[in-house]
Amino acid sequence: MQLIARFRHSRFPLLALGSLLLLLIAGVAIGLLSERALKNQMASEAGAQADLLASAVSGALAFDDREAAQDYVNAVQVNPSVLAAAVYDDSNQLVASYTREGETVPEVTTRRGRATFFRDGRLIVLRPVEEGGQRLGIAGLRMLDTPPSQTFSRYAGLVLVLGLAGLVVIVLAAAQGALRRANRELAERAEVLAETNTLLHQQMAEREKAEEALRQSQKLEAIGRLTGGIAHDFNNLLMVASSGVELLERTVDPGKRKLLIEGVQKAVERGAALTRQMLAFSRRAPLKSEVLHLPTWIEGLRFLFERALREDIEVVLDLPDDLWLVEADPGELELALLNLAVNARDAMPNGGRIILAAHNAAGSGEDTDMACLTVSDTGTGMSEAIASRVFEPFFTTKEVGRGTGLGLSQIYGFVRSSGGEISVESVEGAGTTFTLCLPRTDKPASVPERAPAPTPPDPLTRKAEGRLLLVEDDDAVAAGVGHMVRDLGYTYIRAAQAADALRLLDHGEMFDLVFSDMVMPGEMDGLALAMTVRKRYPGLPVLLTTGFSEVAATAVAERFRVLSKPYGINDLAAILGETLDEVRGRVQADPA
Amino acid sequence: MSRGGRLFAVLLTAVWALMGPAATPAWAQAAPGGNLEYAVKANYLVRFAAFVEWPPRAFANAQAPVVICVAGHDPFGATLDRAARGQTAYGRPLTVRRPATREATAGCHILYAGTGAETLISPKTDRAGLLMITDSAVAPERGMIHFVLSEARVRFHIDQQAATRSGLVISSRLLNLALTVREG
Repeated sequence: MQLIARFRHSRFPLLALGSLLLLLIAGVAIGLLSERALKNQMASEAGAQADLLASAVSGALAFDDREAAQDYVNAVQVNPSVLAAAVYDDSNQLVASYTREGETVPEVTTRRGRATFFRDGRLIVLRPVEEGGQRLGIAGLRMLDTPPSQTFSRYAGLVLVLGLAGLVVIVLAAAQGALRRANRELAERAEVLAETNTLLHQQMAEREKAEEALRQSQKLEAIGRLTGGIAHDFNNLLMVASSGVELLERTVDPGKRKLLIEGVQKAVERGAALTRQMLAFSRRAPLKSEVLHLPTWIEGLRFLFERALREDIEVVLDLPDDLWLVEADPGELELALLNLAVNARDAMPNGGRIILAAHNAAGSGEDTDMACLTVSDTGTGMSEAIASRVFEPFFTTKEVGRGTGLGLSQIYGFVRSSGGEISVESVEGAGTTFTLCLPRTDKPASVPERAPAPTPPDPLTRKAEGRLLLVEDDDAVAAGVGHMVRDLGYTYIRAAQAADALRLLDHGEMFDLVFSDMVMPGEMDGLALAMTVRKRYPGLPVLLTTGFSEVAATAVAERFRVLSKPYGINDLAAILGETLDEVRGRVQADPA
Repeated sequence: MSRGGRLFAVLLTAVWALMGPAATPAWAQAAPGGNLEYAVKANYLVRFAAFVEWPPRAFANAQAPVVICVAGHDPFGATLDRAARGQTAYGRPLTVRRPATREATAGCHILYAGTGAETLISPKTDRAGLLMITDSAVAPERGMIHFVLSEARVRFHIDQQAATRSGLVISSRLLNLALTVREG
């Protein structure tokens, strides 16, 4: 029972066990049957021999010829398997016998004188000696039974086959058992793995939460630092602007007024640049990719560099004409190059040289072909520790107010989102080289937009006409914009909310154009207002304006004209003129 | 036979009777002139029936007995009767007769010629179906089978020629044991 239990425990397949048992039984049965048949045959052969002896010896027994009897008995020993032979007379007295070494004479055990039996590995055959029905005596033979070795050799084949079959069954069973065990272990491991996986997922989720919290706190810290820098910059700009405006009121000298106005304008431009930089950093501005031929395009920027830099800094352009085309947002790239140039300038307080070079970098393997720009300076350089951190947001070596720490991270973000790479090499005291690589494109180059635009006619000299519906929630902005619009020759009515604007339109007020801010309080924002106007008054053009580029993008997607804040009077005059001209043109083309 | 010799024979007979008919001491050395010798010879007479083949016409029917006759002086007495009792030869019973006349020998199949037998039948007879047995202890003339003592044992000569003449076939096993065989 224990054995069975153990088998069951080890999952020894019962089928295999059964077949093994069956095989064994069959083998043993075959062996036994064949053994018995063999013994029968042996017995009958021995019986025939004994009969022969009995028949031959009858005369000798009948007539007391011991010598003749002995002769017959001796003749029998020619057969090597006869170990002993004996002849008895009819009173069971031994007449003649023959024995091999270590053997005994076959004894008479039966009165009938006929017997065949196996005893102690010997076959004993007794036969009566009779002649003509007269009982004369008994002849006995003691023969060699098949020796075990011979029996074994006879059954060795069978045993071998049986053993092999058994072995195969056992091996198969063992293999199956091992397989089952392995499967079980695998299943257990899979379970453990699943548990671990679950745990890992939990930990990952927790970690993600923690990272999110950390990021949030970092963001807050960054915003704190940013506001410091921006506030400082803006204060300076506002200082310039407010002082300029105050001085404008006090002076009538046209030359002085011109200088003051330029100063204020510059301050406002710097403020705009600052906000643009911030927006770029926050990724709100969508990348508007164009295919650029960098040598041509950068040549068009040369004047910009020169204006941004000082007189003691020489700008060297080394741009091979066969540079591969790249696809990038020109505005972002311009900002990136300007940032690099300004950084280079700041690194060279005593003047120096900025080298803007370019080369093709053929990609190997999975890397794509790149067109690379390098901006090198001969400035102070920086330590390795600083060089390794320059692309981190808000990392700056400049004192508070001089930089926001966003310049290089803007470049990094731009390059990465364009599919390119950026790296920096610097030797302290010898200069810094930024390498900016952008992926090669197969698209044809777009028409260079940076071609100098024809100077628009002075908007202030050209008096425009038209009645505008100005929708703006901010009173100050509304007043400012109102001044500009009136200056340009338009008349306008202001609505503080989209709902007010719609009400005016519904009351039958006639306008040539609706000029609306996009982000406004109330149930309806600028875009919704524009959609409603387009639906109800298809002939009435709508011009939208906003400082949020993201919102602007949705408006552009709806095929509305959008003017980005902040804008100057020239920009306003141009876009108002374009919008109105388009509508008038359409009306003329379609007089119906 | 003297009185004492007779008594001895009776005693021996008693001993054999005690040992039973199957316990004939066949291997006992036949002492010359002793009754043991005749006991052996009586036994042989019975056994000849098993080693000799008679022509069918020698018997009245299939169950007819083989008749053993003792002519002249009978040296066996009851020994022969005892040896023949219960024995058979090829399914035929054996009977013993002691013919006193020439005519009485007619039904004999085996005839032992004792002393004075010549008055009844010649040892050289070639009567069909009769196995003539002579004894050197009685007379030197030889019949078909002639008992002699050799090396203190009862042996015999065989005249196959005479036997063949009488239509008898003697088994080779018997011929093998003969001291001499006169071939036919």
